[in-house]
Amino acid sequence: MTGRRVAALAAGVFLVACAAALVGTAVGPLEALAVVSGTADPLTAAIVGDVRLPRVLVGLAAGACLGLAGTVLQAVLRNPLASPEVTGVGSGAVLGAVAATLVGGAVATPAGVLGVALAGGVLGGGLLWLLAARAGADPLRLAVLGVLVSAVLGGGTLVLLTARPQLAGSMARWLVGSLAGRSWEHWAALWPPLLGCAVAGMLIAPVLGLLAVDDDHARGLGLAVAGWRSAALLVAVLATASAVASVGALAFVGLLAPHAARALVGADHRVLLPAAAVAGAGVVGAADAVAQLLTQLVIGLALDTGRQIGVPAGAVTAVAGAVVLIGIVRRRSREIVGEEA
Amino acid sequence: VSRPVLGTTSALVVAVVLVTAALALGQPAVPPLRLPAVLAADGGIEHVVVTQLRAPRLVLGVLAGAALGVAGLLLQESLRNPLAVPELLGVSSGAAAAVAVTVVFALPVPFAPLLPALAGAALGALLTVLAVRGAVGPAAVLLIGAGVSAALQAVMLAATAVTGSQEQGVLVRYLLGSLAGTTWATVGVALPGLLVAAPLVVVALPALGLLRLGGEAATVLGLRAGAARGGVLAVACLLTAAVVGPAGPIAWVGFVAPQLVRVLAPGLRPVPGLLACAGAGAAVVVAADLLARTVLHPVELPVGGLTAAVAVTAGTVLLVLRRTGVAR
Repeated sequence: MTGRRVAALAAGVFLVACAAALVGTAVGPLEALAVVSGTADPLTAAIVGDVRLPRVLVGLAAGACLGLAGTVLQAVLRNPLASPEVTGVGSGAVLGAVAATLVGGAVATPAGVLGVALAGGVLGGGLLWLLAARAGADPLRLAVLGVLVSAVLGGGTLVLLTARPQLAGSMARWLVGSLAGRSWEHWAALWPPLLGCAVAGMLIAPVLGLLAVDDDHARGLGLAVAGWRSAALLVAVLATASAVASVGALAFVGLLAPHAARALVGADHRVLLPAAAVAGAGVVGAADAVAQLLTQLVIGLALDTGRQIGVPAGAVTAVAGAVVLIGIVRRRSREIVGEEA
Repeated sequence: VSRPVLGTTSALVVAVVLVTAALALGQPAVPPLRLPAVLAADGGIEHVVVTQLRAPRLVLGVLAGAALGVAGLLLQESLRNPLAVPELLGVSSGAAAAVAVTVVFALPVPFAPLLPALAGAALGALLTVLAVRGAVGPAAVLLIGAGVSAALQAVMLAATAVTGSQEQGVLVRYLLGSLAGTTWATVGVALPGLLVAAPLVVVALPALGLLRLGGEAATVLGLRAGAARGGVLAVACLLTAAVVGPAGPIAWVGFVAPQLVRVLAPGLRPVPGLLACAGAGAAVVVAADLLARTVLHPVELPVGGLTAAVAVTAGTVLLVLRRTGVAR
């Protein structure tokens, strides 16, 4: 039953990816289809093969990373609102990636950026960890603290971007996340960590269900809680950092994907984790397709455009994610009152 | 010496020091003792720098800080939540998004930037209020506001990305707030909104005192709590919008100013409290702007980045120290 649902989800994501590969500004859907049948001219083939395809693949991989990270964070922090954005992990990784790009040289290679983004993610998560230890366990309070940590780190990112104006052109990418200009090089830097995170995630998936209940039950069953939790958090941070280092923040994907997946396949983490990764890929693919359509719309309005990079996909996920976030908070706050009543 | 006298004196000393520093520091640096002579001089590079560059910047900083400090106080008192700030209620980001969209698309809007800023602030606040209906508890309200803010910021970033606006100053200004490039004309842009808002703040003051007691108590005392709260929110929106148009949402000043007053001078009566908030906001913005334009000279940091870093750190500490702060 759930297997069939995961398969259906994967098929849906495949269709979304195809749609994302077909829409764009320079080449229409029909011309793009012609590439598949081998009848297109070389320029069109090059646009589809070397611009669209890596863009879609990088988007799907980044979405999968964020979906994994969100699911792991929600389980380990026992918080339906936990996601890279609301825990400081995402904005820490952005800060790291921007800092690495600023330093330049050997640090600005894909691997170097990933490493520094990882350190930034650990910094953001660690800050929240330190604060949360004193603030108590209420999920809404924890999320407010996470938003504040994110605000501090985001301010730092913006100050860095201002201090070096030559980087400011890519501001939108770092701050909201965009798939514009992603190449095969980015894909080469992204798939190994995704593979690593996916394997590690499947290894810890059976434990996640225990960690999500409470420490005492997990300990009673003979689990080394602290060690497993650290391992799980590390996987989440690595997944976030690799996504952020290649496409920027892509707000709220880590929140949307786990909730979509949970609605489809239920709460068993062995099924939920891969489903959330697939859902995350679908969310980003769909968001980028919508963003491309919006870009065409804006250009169609004949508004004055200079050197444009189009509507960033992260803007679409941020708007959609905000709606979901609000829905969850409302339900959650009523549940708390219901429990108290 | 009695406490009010001591407090007023120290506030005046701080004000004199900040004003002198804001006019004197920078390139070229003017020795404080020569400031009167430079101000009175007829021409000369120092005269032009001080009167045409530093003075309008100082005035706009004072106005913006005062307005945001008061707006923060209004929001915090009427919603009874120390973390209710324009940044977490969709007000600032709504105003900033609306202004940024009109700027990057060069839309011909009358009374820009005040009118689009006001419309955006009202839209952001309205979205938050609608989304908050039925949700319970201050933490939920803040999270929902943060969600609305995030969405509105994304809209603004998308607008700047679509136009490929190389004017990154626009983006930085409307994301965090900046006083760079302020002239007397910029000050003139801020004034009308503030002139309208100032008497409204005075009108709202009595209702604020009752709302502070809580909705039920206010109702018992004969106040229509819902309408009064809406009115106070509208005034706060107007104050924020008047500042966001010319200077951007100088981030988190609305949070740090009332907190500063609460720590330094607890238990002030409403009117002195309001004035103290305005003064604290102005001092924070002027001090932060001084740092922003001198520390890394010739690179100018956005003043909002500094205020955000200071204020959010303070807010986090507050939230953690007062474990009951947001939950109740």
